[in-house]
Amino acid sequence: PAMDAAAAPGAAAGGQQQQQPAPPRAERLNGEVQSQLNLEGMRARAVGLYKAISRILEDFDAIARVNPSGSPKWQDVLGQFSMVSMELFNIVEDIKKVNKGFVVYPRNVNAENAAILPVMLSSKLLPEMEVEETTKREQLLSGITNLPVPSQMEKLKARIDMIANACETAERVIAECRKTHGLGARQGANLGPMLDKAQAAKIQEQESLLRAAVNYGEGLRVSGDQRQMHSSLPSHLMEVLATGDGAHNFGDNSGAYPKNTPAFSPNNVNAQGNPMQASGGQLLGRSAPSPGTAGTPNFENVSTPPMPYANSPRSGTNMMNTPSPQQHLTPQQQRQKLMQASQQQQQQLRPSAAGMLAQSSVPQLQDLQGQAQQKVAGQQQMQYSQAQALSQFQNRQMQAARMQPGMSQSQLNQGNQLRSHLGQFTGAANSAMFTAAQASSNSQMMANIPGTMQTMQSQSMMPQMQQFGLTGGHPQRSHQMMTDQMYGMGGANTTSMMGMQMQQQQQQQQQGLYGNMQGGGQSLQQQGMVGLQNQQQNQMQGGGQSLQQQGMVGLQNQQQNQMQNQMQNQMQNQLQNQMPNPNFSQQRQQNQQ
Amino acid sequence: LTFFFLWVCTMQHVEALEVLLQGLSGVPKERVRVHELCLKSVPMLGAVPSEVRLLCDLAQPTPSWTIRHVGGAMRGAGAEQISILVRTIVESKASSNVLRYFYGIGYKLDHEILKVGFAFRFQRGAQFTVTVTSANKMPKLHATDEAVQVTPGIQLVEITAPAAANNYNDVVSAVTSFCEYLAPLLHLSKPGNSTGIVPTAGAAAASLMSSGGAKTL
Repeated sequence: PAMDAAAAPGAAAGGQQQQQPAPPRAERLNGEVQSQLNLEGMRARAVGLYKAISRILEDFDAIARVNPSGSPKWQDVLGQFSMVSMELFNIVEDIKKVNKGFVVYPRNVNAENAAILPVMLSSKLLPEMEVEETTKREQLLSGITNLPVPSQMEKLKARIDMIANACETAERVIAECRKTHGLGARQGANLGPMLDKAQAAKIQEQESLLRAAVNYGEGLRVSGDQRQMHSSLPSHLMEVLATGDGAHNFGDNSGAYPKNTPAFSPNNVNAQGNPMQASGGQLLGRSAPSPGTAGTPNFENVSTPPMPYANSPRSGTNMMNTPSPQQHLTPQQQRQKLMQASQQQQQQLRPSAAGMLAQSSVPQLQDLQGQAQQKVAGQQQMQYSQAQALSQFQNRQMQAARMQPGMSQSQLNQGNQLRSHLGQFTGAANSAMFTAAQASSNSQMMANIPGTMQTMQSQSMMPQMQQFGLTGGHPQRSHQMMTDQMYGMGGANTTSMMGMQMQQQQQQQQQGLYGNMQGGGQSLQQQGMVGLQNQQQNQMQGGGQSLQQQGMVGLQNQQQNQMQNQMQNQMQNQLQNQMPNPNFSQQRQQNQQ
Repeated sequence: LTFFFLWVCTMQHVEALEVLLQGLSGVPKERVRVHELCLKSVPMLGAVPSEVRLLCDLAQPTPSWTIRHVGGAMRGAGAEQISILVRTIVESKASSNVLRYFYGIGYKLDHEILKVGFAFRFQRGAQFTVTVTSANKMPKLHATDEAVQVTPGIQLVEITAPAAANNYNDVVSAVTSFCEYLAPLLHLSKPGNSTGIVPTAGAAAASLMSSGGAKTL
């Protein structure tokens, strides 16, 4: 909103109307502000929200009193909470639109808070926050600072888009999975699309083939007669494989190693074009080019320059290698039979392969044996049922949920790319995971998630943060993410920049209390803060405006139990997330008294 | 070097996986086209045959060769507890003479395979390399242009990360946690074990693809 900030940055008086207001003149809002902000309605909403929260807390109290060890029904609680948070978010949004026209004016200054006021009102970053901000900025802009600013912005914007895209798709994936597993709508495992046994078996077989091929080269070995050098070598091998002299018999298995180096001739046609048996498992043969006979060093071939063999006729060169005489044929044939068998082939293949390699009965590569055992074990695991897969998947979900808390903290300390991943799984994803981890059914909560998502799509990453209100620890992470995403906006929005600092600070405090708000210098916290017992000194930085006091003033008189703090924290955190720089009118302050 | 193996189903899912990986990694994908020649030493050269793999990177304008020796896998109770395979791998760049050289010192071509696909390299607790390739065999020797898929429709997804002797636990956990993100689409397992498919893979892939794919920087 294009506020006439220069004219009326200060009081709520209309800037256009007067410069030095005569004292009796009633203060009115700037016309623009008024058009965009329905103050009365806002107040009504805020009051309503305040009452709702108080009511919820009273309910908690009641439950606690009646049954000291009881806990409220979390499903309902979460549902109510989501409503409250959504309402709060809407209020914050509206305020944000006009916050440029307002300034926070400290009220109720007394001896206690007079000392801290300048700190709270100041907009300068704490030194450590400043350092952090510069490092983050460097990280973000590393590599593109040399470009002109518009292109920098473009790159950042592209990055943001990519991340947003990935987040969207990830959310959709999560929603789909939840649907197929019946987590969102109802309880009970819904197995989703099932493969019939035949399909699953076929896939298993293909998978085994692939693994065998990649790991051990099964199915890739070419039998001797098919190892002819064909017409053209790919370019990367052209210069590498030199030609050899003389022709060798294809069937020379007498133990003299035929010359290895194949002729390279673009015009040669493979004289022995045996059709390849392409079906997996049919290709056998221990054939491999031999490096040369024992007596003849290969270097005569090596020394030949590449080009001359363009025309040298080399018929019958073959890549056949029999490292030792005929005794290999029988194992080969044996292998052939085995390969044609069913899936048991691999099991049987391993011992025979072992037999082949260990001609002198020396145990072969350690790998192979170990892998053979692994393979055997793997085969036995192949009893594959849908239920198993499903439970695995659910376990993964739970594991993921459990792992996420521990994981994302460390990862947040790394580069931007990590934040993108966190962004992906925020919001619905994380709620789903957490609720799964908590082993509680909370369809309500999840139902709210899509709702909240849609309403808040305007802010690129913000909606997801709301979901973090579930536990105290998480809002901080989301703040971090939010922080960085805000960075990604290219710094064009200064208010949001300042908001980041708040969030950064928040992350550092374990309790997730008010965090540190800097900048702007306006804060409504003083009122609430004075009253609360267990709050330490808060440093307000960043935008410096917050709605925190609302909840707190009312809650002063209630027991300071953990739940309350959490709720407050969540509220505050959300507030700070979503409205980095709200400016609140003085009237609001007064009303809160 | 830690090693992690699995596979992914049809082509459709491969694209979905690409979208997911791009989002998770934040880096653009790299094309992969590697001609891998697996050489085995002649038994008469030593008591224990050894195997070395020559990788020729065909994705670059100038092919570059790499020698890779895969050592034995970590064994023991600890190895079984961790969910990924830890192996010692020695890699070295080499000139284009490397194939001739190995032939010269007594190695023979055991098999060759062409891997075509894409890869993502990124840092995320460990230096990850996630490669999604289709394994292709060549009907004729070295005929990389005529390679056909060993298992059409099924590709191999490998996740590897280097680790030192003293920090491989961290790497293991980093890899494992990363793989959780792929859970909707794939199951990963050690190279020796088969995994089967994930029942939700179809739905997950469809939803990933419906967004229109990832954007690149």
